[in-house]
Amino acid sequence: MSISFTLARRYMAGRKLRTALTTLAIVLGVMLIFGFNGTLPGMMEWMRKSMLASVGEVDLNVQSASSALFDQRVADKVAAVDGVAAATPVLRRNVTLPEKPDYHTTGITVIGIDPVVSPDVRSYPVAEGRMLAASDDDTNARPVAVIPASTAEKMGLAVGDELVVPAASGAMTFEVVGTLDSPVPPATDEVYVSLPLAQDMFAAPGRASAIEAAFEGGADEETVQEAVGDAVGDGYVIGSVTADSTLAAGFEVAGTIFNVLGLFALAMGGFIILNTFRTIVAERRHDIGMLRAIGASRRQILGLFLTESLVQGVLGTGLGLLAGWGFATVTAAGMSELVGDLMRIESFETSFSVSTWVLAITLGMGATVLSAILPAIAASRITPLDAMRPQLGDVYEKAATKRGWVGLALVAIAAGMLLSGNDGLIGLGGLLLLVGMSLGASAAVKPITDFFSRGIELVYRREGALARANLQRNPGRAGVTVSAVMISLALVTGIMTMTAAVVGGYAEYAEKATGTDYLVIPQGLMLSGGMVGAGPEMAEAVRSTEGVGDVATLRYAPAVVGDLTVQVVGIDAEEYAKVASFRYSEGSSDADLAKLADPDMVLANASFRAQTKTAKGDTVEVMTPEGARTFTIAGGGNDYINAKLPTVYVSQEALADLWGVTADVMVLANATEGADKAAVLQSLGATIDGFPSFKLYDALAWQQVQNDLFGQLEIVYYTLAVVLAIPSLLALLNTLAIGVLARTREIGMLRAVGATRRQVKRLVVAESFLLAAVGTAAGLVAGVPLGYVIVRSIGAVGLEFDFVWPTTGLVVTVIVGLLFAVLAAIIPARQAARLDVIRALRYE
Amino acid sequence: MSVRHAILGLLAQQPRHGYELHGAFQAIVGGSLWPLNPAQIYTTLGRLEEAGMVVKTAIRRMGGPDQHIFELTGTGRDELDRWYAEGVHSTHQRDEVFLKIALALADERADAGSIVRVQRATLYRDLHELTTRRNDVQVLAQALLLDKAIMHIEADLRWLEMVEARLHEMRRLPATDIPPPRRGRPPRTAPERGGAQTRQPEENRKGTPTWQS
Amino acid sequence: MAIVETKGLTKVYGTGETAVTALDAVDLSLDPGEFVAVMGPSGCGKSTLLNLVGGLDTPTSGTVTIDGREISQLSDDEITRLRRERIGFVFQFFNLIPVLSAVENAALPLILDRGGSARAAAKAEEWLERVGLEDRRANRPDQLSGGQQQRVAVARALVTEPALVLADEPTGNLDSKSSEEIATLLRQVSSEWGRAILMVTHDPRIAAHADRIVFMRDGRIVDDTKIAGAESARDAMERVGLL
Repeated sequence: MSISFTLARRYMAGRKLRTALTTLAIVLGVMLIFGFNGTLPGMMEWMRKSMLASVGEVDLNVQSASSALFDQRVADKVAAVDGVAAATPVLRRNVTLPEKPDYHTTGITVIGIDPVVSPDVRSYPVAEGRMLAASDDDTNARPVAVIPASTAEKMGLAVGDELVVPAASGAMTFEVVGTLDSPVPPATDEVYVSLPLAQDMFAAPGRASAIEAAFEGGADEETVQEAVGDAVGDGYVIGSVTADSTLAAGFEVAGTIFNVLGLFALAMGGFIILNTFRTIVAERRHDIGMLRAIGASRRQILGLFLTESLVQGVLGTGLGLLAGWGFATVTAAGMSELVGDLMRIESFETSFSVSTWVLAITLGMGATVLSAILPAIAASRITPLDAMRPQLGDVYEKAATKRGWVGLALVAIAAGMLLSGNDGLIGLGGLLLLVGMSLGASAAVKPITDFFSRGIELVYRREGALARANLQRNPGRAGVTVSAVMISLALVTGIMTMTAAVVGGYAEYAEKATGTDYLVIPQGLMLSGGMVGAGPEMAEAVRSTEGVGDVATLRYAPAVVGDLTVQVVGIDAEEYAKVASFRYSEGSSDADLAKLADPDMVLANASFRAQTKTAKGDTVEVMTPEGARTFTIAGGGNDYINAKLPTVYVSQEALADLWGVTADVMVLANATEGADKAAVLQSLGATIDGFPSFKLYDALAWQQVQNDLFGQLEIVYYTLAVVLAIPSLLALLNTLAIGVLARTREIGMLRAVGATRRQVKRLVVAESFLLAAVGTAAGLVAGVPLGYVIVRSIGAVGLEFDFVWPTTGLVVTVIVGLLFAVLAAIIPARQAARLDVIRALRYE
Repeated sequence: MSVRHAILGLLAQQPRHGYELHGAFQAIVGGSLWPLNPAQIYTTLGRLEEAGMVVKTAIRRMGGPDQHIFELTGTGRDELDRWYAEGVHSTHQRDEVFLKIALALADERADAGSIVRVQRATLYRDLHELTTRRNDVQVLAQALLLDKAIMHIEADLRWLEMVEARLHEMRRLPATDIPPPRRGRPPRTAPERGGAQTRQPEENRKGTPTWQS
Repeated sequence: MAIVETKGLTKVYGTGETAVTALDAVDLSLDPGEFVAVMGPSGCGKSTLLNLVGGLDTPTSGTVTIDGREISQLSDDEITRLRRERIGFVFQFFNLIPVLSAVENAALPLILDRGGSARAAAKAEEWLERVGLEDRRANRPDQLSGGQQQRVAVARALVTEPALVLADEPTGNLDSKSSEEIATLLRQVSSEWGRAILMVTHDPRIAAHADRIVFMRDGRIVDDTKIAGAESARDAMERVGLL
């Protein structure tokens, strides 16, 4: 009905500040949801594309499901399938190049191919020089390589030049014998070498990362694909290339976080809208009563308000989509800049799928309209008699006391749940606590403001008392604001608590890990796929360095349990126990570590046990390149580096048997007693220089690096926490602005009877401080248990940390709360102070 | 009475004959609002002439009866100036409706309430009449006269309202009569039957035998 | 036939000890085109009477019949429709929608009745012209004087051509000059346009414009006086063709 739209539009235009604030509340949430969901698929798609491009011209691609290396003889099985013309093993590994300024790239993909069969599967158009030949298989000859023209140009190489690439046994120097015109995935640099050479480089003799095959002409692709699938058996993926699973998981987690942030912002937006509409209904009581009297039905009144919320929703969602688009574009640009080198992604495009549009629009509109429903229903219940009543007052919260009791009861139940020790109950308890405190907020406004206003009244007696009276007069509205501030700040406190626990916990892990004197680790931190391992030479070299005592090595292979990609870390239990130690889960000890001598036993970290829902003593089926194997979990232990990912620890023998991995990805070493540690570090440094993809740290330097990392992590979390609190700032601002509008007459009266502009300003600021103080206090009370819930729940998903009392977090929360009080008060206070007395008195 | 002074005032403007005076008066007060018959004018003119305030100066003949032109004398002018200089006292304390009600209270056959209602209806009819006329009046002077009348009616209506609200109170008081010769024991009010009596006015006990406000 | 008829209309607020009888068995009837003022001290029940007649409140006992339909028999929606079609309201506080122009405000009842907005606007303009606001049609309420706002409200009350106009202290918020103008306008509504008016007021001068004055006290009608000549009401009705 057009009158509804006309009214909505004009009413909203008549209260520009309020409309802007309300709109902003929705914009924020929609922006986060739309923006991130628009960025993520683009990012994933781009990564997938960049990987696909390298295999794009191949008819068929076979990889192990876990992206682990597998026996190259699988190629024979594939070749034997009807309809397959040729099949060839490929070993593709990403290598971090040593820092050399004229290379202009930090990473390169080394691709080992069979020079004889591979050209039947894929075309290698030679630009200059020659293609690899069968003779290049000789591992004793001078190693040669062929590179794409784009790589040659970027790295400033020409035919005949030398290229140094890190390898398991140290660095390997290749002669560039040819350049190719073949298309290369954007921002990717490649180097083609013969397969045996590549296997040698990565200490993976006889192993491949993929089988590439070409179909016979006229063969039915689907039939052949199926036949190949049957031929290679379980544990392989045919046809498609998926993005790196750990990276993908990382992005998915980020996506979830952003969606949660967006939802939270929208929930806050909902609070704000509820608040706004309640005020609107109170303000227009007269108008509504009159409309009812002259013949508007209840449904028409309901429709009027829902239309207004709809207009508000369209406005907010529209702007939110626009902001989200901007956010996505900026993020895309920023990400490309930031990780372009690291991930070798030059740029990617944002893409907004239908479901992203639907999600953002549904949530944006939904939050707005849903929040307006209750006030709209209240409006439709206004009787025509209200039009006759001369005085319109604020809508009082009749049920405040009742709800207060319900809230209190919920808080009590929540407390019980929190103390129960049961993870599920604790999580529920946290939620109940927030709900309970929100419900109780309006009932609690009076006593708490009474308490806090004493402080303000010490300084500004009259303003403080007036501010308090104003808040207590409308406990409903104050309650909504307080709830908003409380939830925000509870989350801030919660995140701070979590940060404290995580940072503290990792510090403990790191300390355990650095029971070792020296660490030799790859330049990246995680042992995920694509890292170049080192052959036994490196560990040997470390061992034989003077002054080095015990040495332990870690090896790595990916595996799949059910749908879950897990890490398999191979250790020598005896060696490992000497130089490092696990942080054992409850009920496990070094004795369980010793059980790894049995090749069917594994040690599992908390993340693994949580995600596979297993415990000590359970058996678990792990997909290996040799097929499914059943292991028994000997115990639970976590090490620092792998704590974030589901990991099982096996003996190095088992790893070699089942995964064919013998390369070390990490070497831990202790100095002999009485050795000069500095001298040992120096000679070790000389040893490691031969292995350019590894770095040597002594314990102190390592801890320093870790502390820096945690420093960054803490900053990220703190920023996140503050961002989370922004909606509450909006809620505060909204309440104050509405308060000023609603009391225009009163403020005019105050000014008329002699209040100075400064006093009026103080009045608003005092109100802001009171609201923020109540919200902050409640936020602290709710936040600490919430933090406990978060710590417990991340423990439940596999990251075990101890709860730490978050002193810093509490301080930050208080500061944020008070800062917000000032920030939120600025605009409304100025507005109130600037009111023209005469006009204010005439205001209705 | 003011007719005297109205004639003096009109003659001060210019010498007039009796019929002219009547017309001029009607023009100011709006005719039917304040009816005045010509005979009254001539009688008053005669008295004024006797008092030496006006004089007949000439006779005009217009084919009809003789018409005397009257003129203001010095004495007449003095009287007019004195009239202008003095204030006019209110006469509302001499009120007929009041008397009706007061007497009716003591008269079993009369009903004070009915008197109030009849009076009110009468006043409203007058008010209706006057407000209707007020809207048609073009001459400002007449409008002002109408406004005065309307305002007095409003005041009277308010007074009636008050009287009506207190009628039952007054009924409980003893009838007003000549004050007793000496101040002795106060006459007691006969207690009324039933629960209708809400409050015994304090003043009664003191025996002041008049209506108390 | 009477346009409004109440029989034994009673309204009691509260229960038990605290019960207050706001209206006590009131019988009242209005003829078509009759202008009736209800007077009495505050708390006498005159506003309650108006609310009950307008179907804004429900009686404790007794009946209200409007246009031959007894409204206690009607559902909320039916009463709403009755109000929309047969009754016009004029309130003390004008009660115009601040964000709508004069003509939009005047057209509101028709728009609520889902009338075409062009037809509604034309009708509203016609009535604005009749109440003397043809040059103010595009102004918002805050650009109009109190008297002008109340004229818009009168136009709004008349735009649906109701049989009955209920006015609650229509001049209570106006200066005496504007009051007089509104009262004259209401007189016109009754005598020229033939609508029955039930008006609550405490201003005798405004009430004097009516044909009849009903005096109330303590929830009862204590007096009911015809103050205008019977002829004039008759004349008025004849003029608008009701007789």
